[in-house]
Amino acid sequence: MAGNTILEAKNIYKSFSGVPVLQDVHFEVKAGEVHALMGENGAGKSTLIKIITGVYAKDDGQIYWEGKPVEINTYQDCQKLGVACIYQELSVIPPLTVAQNVFLGREPRKGPFIDYAKMNKMTQELIDKYQFPLKPTTVVDNLGIGQRQLIEILKGLSQNSKLLIMDEPTASLSGQEAEMLFKIIQTLRSEGVSIIYISHRLEEVYMLSDRLTILRDGKNAAVLEKEDIIPAKVIETMIGKVVDESAGSKKMLHSNDEAEVRLDVKGLTDKTDRYRNISFQVRKGEILGLGGLIGAGRTEVVRAIYGVDKAASGEVYLDGKKLDPSPKNSIHEGIGFVPEDRRNQGFIPLLSTTKNVALTNYDIVKIQGTSISDADELAMSKRAIEAIDIRPADPNKEVGVMSGGNQQKVVLGKWLMRDLKLLIVDEPTAGIDVGAKDEIYSILENLAKDGVAVIVVTSDLQELLRVSHRILVMRKGDIVKEFKNVEVTQSMVLSAGQGVEEEAK
Amino acid sequence: MKRMNQTTMRRLISIGMLLILVALFAGLAGTGEGKFFNETNLIEIVRNASIPAIIGVGITYVIITAGIDLSTGSMLALVGMVMANIYVYTLLPIPVMILAGLLVGLACGLVNGFIVAKLNVPEFIGTLATMLIFRGLTYIIAVKNDIGAIESVRMNHSQYAFLGSDFWYYGLYYVIVAMVVIVAIGQIVLKYTRFGTNLYSVGASKKAATLSGIDVMKTRLIAYAITGVTVAIGAIFMTAKLQSTTANLGTDFEFDPIAAAVVGGVALSGGSGDVIGTLIGALFMATLDNGVKMLDMNASYQYIVKGAIIIAVVIFDALYKKRIDRRAKEEGAKEGLE
Repeated sequence: MAGNTILEAKNIYKSFSGVPVLQDVHFEVKAGEVHALMGENGAGKSTLIKIITGVYAKDDGQIYWEGKPVEINTYQDCQKLGVACIYQELSVIPPLTVAQNVFLGREPRKGPFIDYAKMNKMTQELIDKYQFPLKPTTVVDNLGIGQRQLIEILKGLSQNSKLLIMDEPTASLSGQEAEMLFKIIQTLRSEGVSIIYISHRLEEVYMLSDRLTILRDGKNAAVLEKEDIIPAKVIETMIGKVVDESAGSKKMLHSNDEAEVRLDVKGLTDKTDRYRNISFQVRKGEILGLGGLIGAGRTEVVRAIYGVDKAASGEVYLDGKKLDPSPKNSIHEGIGFVPEDRRNQGFIPLLSTTKNVALTNYDIVKIQGTSISDADELAMSKRAIEAIDIRPADPNKEVGVMSGGNQQKVVLGKWLMRDLKLLIVDEPTAGIDVGAKDEIYSILENLAKDGVAVIVVTSDLQELLRVSHRILVMRKGDIVKEFKNVEVTQSMVLSAGQGVEEEAK
Repeated sequence: MKRMNQTTMRRLISIGMLLILVALFAGLAGTGEGKFFNETNLIEIVRNASIPAIIGVGITYVIITAGIDLSTGSMLALVGMVMANIYVYTLLPIPVMILAGLLVGLACGLVNGFIVAKLNVPEFIGTLATMLIFRGLTYIIAVKNDIGAIESVRMNHSQYAFLGSDFWYYGLYYVIVAMVVIVAIGQIVLKYTRFGTNLYSVGASKKAATLSGIDVMKTRLIAYAITGVTVAIGAIFMTAKLQSTTANLGTDFEFDPIAAAVVGGVALSGGSGDVIGTLIGALFMATLDNGVKMLDMNASYQYIVKGAIIIAVVIFDALYKKRIDRRAKEEGAKEGLE
């Protein structure tokens, strides 16, 4: 079926503030093929797509459309070529109807007025053609997330695009809706439309795609033809075979079942079903790794335990005492939390190390007269700086200007000043250089040695294996696998998170 | 799973609130001659609601784009004072004076739009600043007497003052007719043109609107410009009714069209509401004003009652929206489970 090359991206380079994200990436899509794009989180898939759709500017390289070099500087540029992108984050406008959304900015008109009759008819024709469960005149406000995603797809289809980019299109679709989407993809392919299909879900990629490009660490890892798309092989390529045999790709896990249970989570269930019936325990001195794909519900679970968001039902016990989770109570009970989004949630960039460390600890800073003792505050931050080697070792330094690794140490440092029983860290080393990563791991390990229970949420498989004593894997809101006292490899964790059974090794 | 459209629901709620208020005052302040509930007084209420409703058309557009315009009161005074200058110092015909007033309104609106949409000054601060500037300009050009004191300007030319009175038919004031026409046009533009759709898109998500090829800057700019024109129309009818203008015209007025829009279901967060809603809101606020007066309540309390009602409506809308959103989310999640 596949014909001539329709889109080609050659030698694409892109870096963000000096960190290379794409290096010499090639990507080619033929007319009428479904081309899947895979890679671990951070492999550069989204960046590549954003360069193709004009959201980011590339540093170097050239994009060709139907053989001719093109410059794509805005999303409109790529729309003009005949490329439509269905974004993962929805861009439908809730107060408008289905038809208004589909034809937004391109409404058919009669004189100065929108020709609603025609617009609704055109939308109905599209809906009939692809058999979507939608009505042109329904206001989007009244629709669920799955249906909103279908509108997004309809919008792409209505532009008679030659190339459709779908970024995790099934992420918020029900099984039925996803089936429908797969049929649509087949129909479009038979009409000669090309599709770039980005998904974490191997079974979909396996079923749908004609070819598969895999990115790893911002470089091309492989381009596989249909017959080579075999789950085990794909996972191997995504992680990197060479890496898989080197240190850090497998680990013998050991649990100490003698230690007392510190945290006991029972049947935690979300209001909006991002996770359900989550039960697990963490023992004193144990580092529990929580693995799985982004969006599996891990962050939501730990946020509920700490009490930032409330769970709909379920109980949390710390040292046998039932908690009423809220950040204030959690801090009081000895739970520390290092959030995923360090810059926005972890620390206050404009404040100094001293103030940041003191911020969660004002209940234990001495009071002098009617105000906080500056001396005690300073002494505390000096203790933190010394304990974990925060650099620069200047307590008055603004944290916002420090390196990522040291910023994270400040965040950790403020918790170290307390009597911690449980520390929850979410993506603790995202965007941090290798040296600082090791330092952060040893901070976590030392805490565990002192009897603190630690939960580490991470999408970095190497990190997960490196720090964890025991690993739980979440998938679509459920804990699907526990690795305990076994030898575990990156592939095993990834397969569990993907929902692929580990049959072919 | 049939559920009433959210917009229809909100509309019924505002109509219900208006009817309850009317019934409440009819009970408390009485019906019949000289009381609350009689034809003359009810027409008076509609008349009083007309100017906020006319300016409310522009304000509705602005708030739908998730903006705000705090300068309408000062703008009203500036338009009035420009016309007064022409009236007092020139021999230009009245229609030219009216046209000049409209142009001043348009210019003020464009200035607001430029500051907010083009220079990206937060709308609250941008229009708060122009509120001061327009008022200052009004004082500068204010007609002064021999000793330099600002005086109230009489504008009682028959070719002009008739605009403040009624049509050939009793009670059918020009301002009411103008309001009906402007509200109708405003609603049609909002619902049946690309510009109207763009207003909603910009208010709901600037990013999504941009991705759909909508010129967000232009859309916002035009919304502020239209507000300027509606303010000018309001100023013309207001000065015609008063047959005079002063530099203090429209002090505290900016609150009225915003309150009308909010009560009528135009969410300050943008992306929802319409002109008819604002009209109902304007009628609600005018009824409240009138009823409180009829009850002989101290004028000071009127401010408090008005303020409290705005807060109640905003809280209600926030809670209502939260419930709707949660329901949509839950249904989305349920679908995901099937």
